[in-house]
Amino acid sequence: MGGDAPQHAAAMSYTLQFGQVVGYIPDLLWGALISLELAFLGFVFGFGIGLFNASVLHFGRGWVTWPSKAYVVFFLNTPLLVQIFFIYFALPDFGITLTSWQAVVIGLALNAGAYLTEIQRAGFQSIHAAEIEAAETLGFTRIQTIQHVILPHICKVLFPPLSNQYIILTMTTSIAAIFGVEELTGRTYNANAITFRAFELFSIAAVIYIALTLIASALLVFVGRRLFRIDAKVF
Amino acid sequence: MWEQLAEEAPRFFGYYNMIFIAQAFGQTLALSVLGALAGFVLGAFLAVLRHPRLVPFAPGRWLAISYVEIFRRIPFLVKLMCVFFAYQLAGAKVSMFTVALTTVILSATAFAAEIVRAGLESVHRNQWDAAETMNFAPAQALRLVLLPQAWKIIIPPSFSYVIGFIKSTSIASQIGVLELTYAAKVLSTKGFSALLCYGTILILYFLICWPTKLLGAHLERRLGVSHTR
Repeated sequence: MGGDAPQHAAAMSYTLQFGQVVGYIPDLLWGALISLELAFLGFVFGFGIGLFNASVLHFGRGWVTWPSKAYVVFFLNTPLLVQIFFIYFALPDFGITLTSWQAVVIGLALNAGAYLTEIQRAGFQSIHAAEIEAAETLGFTRIQTIQHVILPHICKVLFPPLSNQYIILTMTTSIAAIFGVEELTGRTYNANAITFRAFELFSIAAVIYIALTLIASALLVFVGRRLFRIDAKVF
Repeated sequence: MWEQLAEEAPRFFGYYNMIFIAQAFGQTLALSVLGALAGFVLGAFLAVLRHPRLVPFAPGRWLAISYVEIFRRIPFLVKLMCVFFAYQLAGAKVSMFTVALTTVILSATAFAAEIVRAGLESVHRNQWDAAETMNFAPAQALRLVLLPQAWKIIIPPSFSYVIGFIKSTSIASQIGVLELTYAAKVLSTKGFSALLCYGTILILYFLICWPTKLLGAHLERRLGVSHTR
């Protein structure tokens, strides 16, 4: 991009200058670490919420399942941004005051929890009675059945959509910047406020996000192939 | 707190606020519908470009793959900022709505390309061989053989992606597009309680997304995708 800068200058009076911005890259990369932390927290809590609701939906009958159903339907059909706005600004009316970090983590977890409920419910549904009967016929104990039949099956079914959800979650953490959390996007805003090199900074942030998610995809595909013999490709 | 809400509610749901919210509702709908439609057309084009038997031209395929991979991996907020400043950089004077719409189209294209690709790949290769035996040109094979079988696979998942775009448009509030989320912000700045503002807007989003989702689920059952080839 630097090579044809003079032509650009003549054509549109704005020259891309990465020189001022390069110094901020380490800062942005530390911010990326905070993005990863947010994604990790959101995923772990969301996984717990999802496991609970998926169990309720799979094993429960009648009115017991209603709260879980309502939760999933509501959180899947409203935007995360407004959910966090609600948590951050409306919950104080009920006497619950949260820091922006807490509000963002709770919002991410609740939102991811709804998706992870759907995914884990599909996992539960994929176990067939015939498999368990076959294990019984072979004389497996209950623990052996879980260890050798149910778990490997569930892992193989769940791993691809779970890793997909993790990648999506990594990208949605950028919403935290709107609430003043200094993760990758937040730090990009800050650096922009000092240097006014907006396009340069945001394109660097974009490249870091692409790198983060590509590395995560590659790692997850590798792990999936090694542990669960899932035949998947990064692209 | 409840007394305060009861006192506020009649003012909040007053005539002018309702018009304000209705306009914002229209902006959200316009952004999502236009974005999804344009994105779908461009995405279908990319999917065809990526298909080795339809367009046997490797650089075009690489271009399509890199577009999809890049634009699916940038968060909507960062993409929005990039587009916003790219317009500024180009010296174009455009409305915030155009900036937001461009961003929705850019993401929708990437996601639609993946859905259409999955649909095209679901058609068994025997069908291709048959089309070739009949001496069909690639365009004919696409129109007469591929699409009639692929659209059943393509349509149902598209609805859940459209819901995704509807939800993403809430981020356009960050650059000041007057859609639902921004309307909620404005109303809460005017002094209405956050519970009322954001609660109402959450319900409105729900009223857009939930029927869309139901329609998608209905079509999925109706089209009854069979996995026989």
